[in-house]
Amino acid sequence: MDFSWSEEQAAFRKEVIRFAKQELNDDVAKRDREEEFPVEFWKKCGAFGILGLPVPQEYGGGGADTLTTVCALEALGYGCKDNGFLFSLNAHMWTSELPLMAFGTEEQKRRYLPKLASGEWIGLHCMTEPMSGSDAYSMRSRAERKGDRYVINGSKTFITNTTHGDLFVVFANVDPSKGANGVTGFLVEKGTPGLVLGKKLHKMGLRTSPMSEVALVDCEVPAENILGKEGSGQAIFTHSMEWERTCILASHLGMMQRLIETCVKYARERQQFGQPIGKYSAIANMIADMEVRLETGRLLIYKAAWLKSQGRHALREAAIAKLFVSEATVQTCLDAIQIHGGYGYMAEYEMERDLRDAVSGKIYSGTSEIQRVIIAGFQGL
Amino acid sequence: MSATEQTPATQSTLKDQIREFIQVQLAEPKGITTFTDEESLMETGVIDSLGIFRLVSFLEEEMRVRVSDEEINAETLKSVNTIEELVIRKRK
Ligand SMILES: Cc1cc2nc3c(=O)[nH]c(=O)nc-3n(C[C@H](O)[C@H](O)[C@H](O)COP(=O)(O)OP(=O)(O)OC[C@H]3O[C@@H](n4cnc5c(N)ncnc54)[C@H](O)[C@@H]3O)c2cc1C
Repeated sequence: MDFSWSEEQAAFRKEVIRFAKQELNDDVAKRDREEEFPVEFWKKCGAFGILGLPVPQEYGGGGADTLTTVCALEALGYGCKDNGFLFSLNAHMWTSELPLMAFGTEEQKRRYLPKLASGEWIGLHCMTEPMSGSDAYSMRSRAERKGDRYVINGSKTFITNTTHGDLFVVFANVDPSKGANGVTGFLVEKGTPGLVLGKKLHKMGLRTSPMSEVALVDCEVPAENILGKEGSGQAIFTHSMEWERTCILASHLGMMQRLIETCVKYARERQQFGQPIGKYSAIANMIADMEVRLETGRLLIYKAAWLKSQGRHALREAAIAKLFVSEATVQTCLDAIQIHGGYGYMAEYEMERDLRDAVSGKIYSGTSEIQRVIIAGFQGL
Repeated sequence: MSATEQTPATQSTLKDQIREFIQVQLAEPKGITTFTDEESLMETGVIDSLGIFRLVSFLEEEMRVRVSDEEINAETLKSVNTIEELVIRKRK
């Protein structure tokens, strides 16, 4: 067992932090207010090689192993304060690139992966529906085979990246009599007739990440746009969720580290009752607890990522990591605000935005309650 | 000759282990007391979406085989028999 980053990984981490601090922090507060997705950041990340990190080199990606990718995402979360942008980036990686890599045909991989890896295209994932969230497989969307095409009908909600998206991974049931075993994945390109973007959704946080409803109205796709086989939607979705839950909160580790450093600095400088507030154990203990949460979160994410890098399954470990890190981040944001007193509550100090962004971590990619259901399920409960 | 017939002693132990795991960990908690080696465990509700991954963890940790993403499907993991066939194939 080795808990250290290799020299290359440590150097890459530094480079990503430098890049993120320099290139990905302009006007975050303004864009958060105006709900604006930073297209130029996306292009920069494409050019830097981040968007295609886990994609094999033969498809235009960086071919990085899972731990190196996690290391880079953690560094991004540390250097870049635009959590909404990083969320969009993660959705693109884990729920469009990864399922394509695992279930796509050679032709699909050659057609889409290079564009996704370079950042020319943005990927997204359409599973959730107005009536089916946690119980995702009870979806009402249907796909019917008609000759050499599938016709998809249904409506999706809470879909990330839609307004800027190019490749939609859409789930629909081809045979409802089979229940979850009828759920099937399809690749639907932007501009396909019948793929309609619905109402734009306004969020509490992650406001720089676009979100809207999506309707599929007699949306016809060629039969070769099926992802995997008929009925393999369940395997694809679980695969995506396993990867996403393992990696999506790596950037929260970086965010937590950034918050801890800000708090330590403030606790040393801010004087009340004649001494720095860090001298009061109530404040010092909050910072100690932040450290414990960060280190525990690291161990959980690295362990799950290590399992994935070994080609092993990590559904349980990913659920534990996702549950812990999402809740740890919310607590760390609350404590950071508390340590900064009234200043922490002010938008100018940017911690209230981190908090608003962090709350969603307990909901997307399976709520905290669902992660607990999975973890308890592994105990036979 | 099928793989199952070649080494009956080992195969029967293997099948017993698989059946026992499914019985105790997946079926009984759902109140399902009997199932045959041929029947589709997904159709009868013994294996649900979480059960699949508990089964895969069992195969990886206890049976020491690696199950690829493509193998996690309703045909390969259909019944006790098909799961046993998967383990035998993987161990070769
Ligand atoms: C920021 C953000 C981005 C998202 N992006 C996408 C996306 O790109 N694509 C996509 O398809 N979806 C996306 N989603 C949707 C997300 O996956 C769902 O919101 C989530 O799965 C929960 O579903 P729901 O909102 O319908 O809540 P529900 O499932 O209705 O849950 C409501 C409450 O009941 C609890 N609950 C439900 N079932 C159980 C149970 N069995 N045991 C205990 N408690 C339970 C839940 O934990 C929750 O507290 C996004 C959501 C958010 C917030």
